[in-house]
Amino acid sequence: MGTAPAQLFPEFIVDTLGLDSVIGEVAASLVAAFVVGNIILAFTGVAGPWAKRKITAAFTDRIAVDRIGPYGLLIIPAAAVQLLAKELIIPEGVDRPSWDIAPILLPASALLGFSVIPMGRIGPINLHLADPEVGFALVFAFASIASVSLVMAGYASNNKYSLLGGLRAVAQNLAYEIPLIVTAMSAVIFAGTLQMSGIVGAQTETLATIGGVAIPSWYAFVNPFAFVLFLTANMAEIGRNPFDIPEAPTEIVGGYQTEYSSAYFVLFYLGEFVHIFLGGAILAVTFLGGASGPGPESIGFIWFVVKIWGFFLFTQWARAAIPRVRIDQLIEIGWKGMLVLSFANLVLTAVIVGVIA
Amino acid sequence: MSLERPDTTDDAAIERTPDELEALLGDLVVARDDHLNAPGFVIRPDTVQETLRTLKQQAGYDHLSVVSAQEYENRYESIYHLKKYDDPTQEVSVVVPADKDHPVSESAEPVFRTADWHEREAYDLIGVEYEGHPDLRRILLPETWQGHPLSMDYDKDRPQIATLPEHANPLEDHHKDEESDTMFLNIGPHHPATHGVLHLKTVLDGEQVVDVEPDIGYLHRSEEQMAQSGTYRHQIMPYPDRWDYISAGLLNEWAYARAAEDLADIEVPEYAQVIRTMGAEMCRIAAHMLALATFALDINGDFTATFMYAINDRERVQNLLEDLTGQRLMFNYFRLGGVVWDLPEDREAFFSDTRDFLDHLPESVEEYHNLITSNEIFQMRTIDTGILPPEVAKNYGATGPVARGSGVDYDLRRDDPYGYYDELDWDVVTEDGCDNFSRLLVRMREVEESAKIIEQCVDLLEDWPEDERNIQANVPRTLRPDDDAEIYRAVEGAKGELGIYIRSDGTDKPARFKIRSPCFSNLQTLPEMANGEYIPDVIAALGSLDVVLGEVDR
Repeated sequence: MGTAPAQLFPEFIVDTLGLDSVIGEVAASLVAAFVVGNIILAFTGVAGPWAKRKITAAFTDRIAVDRIGPYGLLIIPAAAVQLLAKELIIPEGVDRPSWDIAPILLPASALLGFSVIPMGRIGPINLHLADPEVGFALVFAFASIASVSLVMAGYASNNKYSLLGGLRAVAQNLAYEIPLIVTAMSAVIFAGTLQMSGIVGAQTETLATIGGVAIPSWYAFVNPFAFVLFLTANMAEIGRNPFDIPEAPTEIVGGYQTEYSSAYFVLFYLGEFVHIFLGGAILAVTFLGGASGPGPESIGFIWFVVKIWGFFLFTQWARAAIPRVRIDQLIEIGWKGMLVLSFANLVLTAVIVGVIA
Repeated sequence: MSLERPDTTDDAAIERTPDELEALLGDLVVARDDHLNAPGFVIRPDTVQETLRTLKQQAGYDHLSVVSAQEYENRYESIYHLKKYDDPTQEVSVVVPADKDHPVSESAEPVFRTADWHEREAYDLIGVEYEGHPDLRRILLPETWQGHPLSMDYDKDRPQIATLPEHANPLEDHHKDEESDTMFLNIGPHHPATHGVLHLKTVLDGEQVVDVEPDIGYLHRSEEQMAQSGTYRHQIMPYPDRWDYISAGLLNEWAYARAAEDLADIEVPEYAQVIRTMGAEMCRIAAHMLALATFALDINGDFTATFMYAINDRERVQNLLEDLTGQRLMFNYFRLGGVVWDLPEDREAFFSDTRDFLDHLPESVEEYHNLITSNEIFQMRTIDTGILPPEVAKNYGATGPVARGSGVDYDLRRDDPYGYYDELDWDVVTEDGCDNFSRLLVRMREVEESAKIIEQCVDLLEDWPEDERNIQANVPRTLRPDDDAEIYRAVEGAKGELGIYIRSDGTDKPARFKIRSPCFSNLQTLPEMANGEYIPDVIAALGSLDVVLGEVDR
């Protein structure tokens, strides 16, 4: 970790354009945030109307969208127009403005998380907005705002199914966020820092060389047990199968999002996809070496994209194959299983690191 | 006979002659009114419970198949069709006449739980009142309906007007209880997991179900009345396809065919029976595949791969049925005395397609076992949830995979043979788990048994001499069964015992046509399975019951 931290994206803009004032720095930060935000939104745009359908279809022996454009890709603008053109139905007795804030809060909180994620280099640009010393804690804080949004939506909708969904979301997030963060702490113990660039940097060293191939010291290889734990808790955190019970359409008809239509519905969906990508990004940074991969460092962003899309694919695979657990079973797995295992992992990691280091 | 004795005694299995039964009932019997399928004992309307209890506890008639009611010129009449789970060929009908002006008769609900819904239906449609019934409300028609549609003085031209206050919110009452912490939740009639228009009035304590009450009738289409206004020979056969419309059409048609053929004394040629057997089992596979698919949908959530895989397999058998009958869903393939046409030309292609399907089937079933039944989460969700003990199942008149999943060894194909089943080599599947998992497993194993049956039928049909391929018996153009002949006949449908009660009045149309729907009785067990469990378990239990609302509501 002897190398100096790479230049952050806003600093790069400031340097390149020579904006050497406070206003210039603010403007550069905004531009950088705009670019990163749009990259993520573009991912969700591809994932929602197109990739999700194609992936599900591949799992279930179907073809899915192929009518408009090459590989059906033009379904993306078509779906956007269709969804936004729908009537926004506001049910009687909803609790405004919290009913309106909830769908904005979900994508906003998930997007905020990307402010500290080191997304790797593309050419001379290092797609990393900010690198505070507590970045790792910050990203979990941002990610968990999502459950506030779900509770708001569930409570404000004045619908019993929504309420049940909101309550389930709280129970689930309580039960899984603690193991998630405790497991993530083991990576912090390895790296000795909460700074994102530090955690990624610590994983670039070579762990072992097998047959001439250097295996990097990604924490997924160093501590596969923690990786599996984190992956499981992450699925619950983002509410995907087998832990999609806050929505559970066949039980509670979509849960907290039952009453939402049109633009608000799109915002919720958008938020969920951004959340999946954020979950993938956290996983990549914590356990899969962030943007590292074969080839020069300047294509790191591509590896990063591959990793978060790989995680997206994994969530879709789980959705096609794995049954949903019941709410009481979920709580039991969370409190009685995951929590104990994650603390065991933390203690073990601390002992190992303490003895070796 | 007020002494409480166990429901089944050693002498229960003994077959008694009608006269012995009459002696057993003693003074309870007022007269005899024998039906074509069973001896019938006329009793007084205030001795229903005593009679049924005697028959249940001392003669072993533990299965109340159906309660049919009807109105005559001078009286109302309820008939309790009793059978034995151990031997459904032993039948007895208890005929209860009720006064024309005040049709009141004692409820059988304390003896047979299943009588609850059956009597409510009789009250709703015919107008017989059952004294001592715990909850005598309309069941199929709306609460505000005027008159009883199958009674004689019913004016069907009179519009049904319900004032706005009456209709203001029929679901509103006693939803909020100031004292308790429970929440009332309407599940359905439009809900992703109710498998049709079913409404569950649910009371929740947190996520746990305190009480669930199925509210049915949203898909009531007067099927019985439509059948009563059609002629036996041609006009009734298309209707059964529309009861259990989950591609179980041929099984339903067989129910009518069997009842009407026995009523009119028609012999079906053997060749036609083999074709019927083969077609019916194809329908069973299609129906069970859909049951499996939707159950996976309920447990796994939408977008599960299992759903599409099972629909794919159903599609294969659906194609075979299309080749055979010319239709994909509303087959209308059976005729009284046989089937409408022979196997499709060219026969060899049909046989090889069928064999291809059968060859492929074990592989598919294996895949479903890999996908769902061997999945730990799936097992966690379904094993020991939705418990239906065998005694409760019998008390509710549960049949089909629901009863067999509770270890009740009852399958009319074997126990009351019809068609070509008794000539073939196959087994009745039972599981002892009594839970959601067992019911699924029974269906999956039954698919394999059905495949065995189809394979043997194909073997038989392939070698059938060309000059003996008689697809229909000689049946008169107009059928007029004897006046006042009554019959109840059942077949093993996809969901259980699908029976038809017909009373003829000497014309070419039935005077009373009553459908005993297996789903109707099976659905009644839902509260037993669901109370005290979680919402997802209610959904799972409902999925494992595999009800088709078209058959529940008729």
